[in-house]
Amino acid sequence: MIHDSLIRERLVTGDKTAADVTRDISRPILNQPSSAWKIGFTLSLVFLGIFGVSLFWTVWTGIGVWNINKSVMWGWDITNFVFWVGIGHAGTLISAVLLLFRQKWRMSINRSAEAMTIFAVVCAAMFPVFHMGRVWVGYWALPLPNAFGSLWVNFNSPLLWDVFAISTYFSVSLLFWYIGMIPDIATIRDKVKTKTAKFWYNFFSMGWTGSTRSWARYELVSLILAGISTLLVLSVHTIVSADFATSVIPGWHTTIFPPYFVAGAIFSGFGMVATLLVVARKVMNYENYITIGHLEAMTKIIMVTGTLVGIAYLTEFFIAWYSVVEYEQYAFINRATGPYWWAYWSMMSCNLIAPQVFWFKWARTTPWFIFIMSIVVNVGMWFERFVIIVTSLHRDYLPSSWVMYSGSLTEVGLFLGTFGIFFTCFFLFAKFLPVINMSEVKTILRNRE
Amino acid sequence: MGLVDKNLSLRNRNKMLIGVWEDEDALLSASQAVVDKGIHIHDVFTPYPVHGLDRIIGVKRSRLARVAFFCGLTGLSLMFLMIWYMYVKDWPVNVGNKPVRFSPSWIPVMFEGTILCTAFGMGIFFFLRNRMLHGIKNDLLDDRQTDDRMIMTIETCEGMDEKGLIDLMKEKGAVETREFHNGIQTVI
Repeated sequence: MIHDSLIRERLVTGDKTAADVTRDISRPILNQPSSAWKIGFTLSLVFLGIFGVSLFWTVWTGIGVWNINKSVMWGWDITNFVFWVGIGHAGTLISAVLLLFRQKWRMSINRSAEAMTIFAVVCAAMFPVFHMGRVWVGYWALPLPNAFGSLWVNFNSPLLWDVFAISTYFSVSLLFWYIGMIPDIATIRDKVKTKTAKFWYNFFSMGWTGSTRSWARYELVSLILAGISTLLVLSVHTIVSADFATSVIPGWHTTIFPPYFVAGAIFSGFGMVATLLVVARKVMNYENYITIGHLEAMTKIIMVTGTLVGIAYLTEFFIAWYSVVEYEQYAFINRATGPYWWAYWSMMSCNLIAPQVFWFKWARTTPWFIFIMSIVVNVGMWFERFVIIVTSLHRDYLPSSWVMYSGSLTEVGLFLGTFGIFFTCFFLFAKFLPVINMSEVKTILRNRE
Repeated sequence: MGLVDKNLSLRNRNKMLIGVWEDEDALLSASQAVVDKGIHIHDVFTPYPVHGLDRIIGVKRSRLARVAFFCGLTGLSLMFLMIWYMYVKDWPVNVGNKPVRFSPSWIPVMFEGTILCTAFGMGIFFFLRNRMLHGIKNDLLDDRQTDDRMIMTIETCEGMDEKGLIDLMKEKGAVETREFHNGIQTVI
């Protein structure tokens, strides 16, 4: 029996009707861009420019402009790669896992989170691709017939698994995002006035009419895509963690890496979703759609996953001690008390200690505070990857190879530049596509159960 | 049966009766009342999925899940064959004298291939079956059917009590009723 819930809090406030939803969500698309959008977009373009310059310098001169060396052969680049892939994972988690669990609060935030996934994966892919040095032979990573004596790629290598995992993840996420957006693109198609806009929205809506038959198939396809995306997101970050875990470097060679990386990815991804949405709901006037209830639900996930990651940090220490392997023990003592202690303790305080503040309701329901905390989470998760990569590599088995490492200006430029890619894409998305899933939100206006 | 669902086209049909609703509960009860009279509802166009409507109007369960399963199997087999050919048949690599045969390190690539083929295979069939092909003109009956209005279409046939049906739709909360014939709509 379906009826209006008397006790559940409404997911969309302000007594909105279906027509109100269409009007509110399509407003930024149908109107001229606001000054906030123009300022944000210009700033993103500046960062995109920084990326362009740094990338040009890297490709023109060679990887030598990075400070990586033969001991620390992975530095900021792979740190940034794992950082961005992790951020991308929250999008899939929100749209796929929460769909499987029938969490209706996801409906207001899934579109922007999925967009975030796609843009984050683009940012992530930049780093391993350009770390190849001679990027023009990057296609050697693909299993293509070649003239080198039938030499194929190495299927035993997790780096090759990454090629398959990341490209599958990107393309399946794009498909999931696009199919989910078709009904909304059709709504916009029927609202826009100009000829060019009509042509493009018509082109991408693929003739959607909202027939019951189409909806039945649409819902089935969404469900199956959600099911396989859930498996996909778990496999992708497991494979990313295998880049480290399958090696014999102390501090990397641990079986806890897959679950630990997946939890960390969800944690950092929710951090980024919170950063974006706290601002977007205010600037775009979506406070009735992305309510305090939504922010509160996200902070709870941040707290739980932050604690999971924290437990993983402590477990690593325990296992290092319990293993009685001196190299393993040294690696962890060096992390906490060695020359990179500041990075380790930044990670610990941002990821394990700081999110505990979300036990308090005030912290979970105050947007400006959630915004600051979401930045803290992202800083902490960047440091986590830096700690794992650099502290393990800078002191290997041979003390004569011990070195210190810090990112060069070009590496910093590339990292900041990826924020340019990310935000430029996000601003364009917010201008030309509906940021909130209109057709799904229309189903929860009446708070049914 | 062709791949494209012919039911989705509004062309070359008899005269159609159209009812417009603004409330999903009223639409559901109206659909049930029409079906109870033994009348076949051609389709209902809604701006969002109205759950239960497909069963009322007799839409069969989609077979896309089975399609997805077979696409997945195809992906898995193709990836297995690819790795086997490159790694065992064409250029076996001696790694620590280990035997050259299937090993768990093949699984990640096979798994990703399975997911890729499932998603894109199902996606392609979804577009085909839903008549979502570029070049086909969409049949919109109302500009607001993707906004807030729900449109029920009933194809008329010999001996149908059209007047009675229009009255039933109005009684069940239709905010507007129309006739659609040869691409022209008339409010009745």
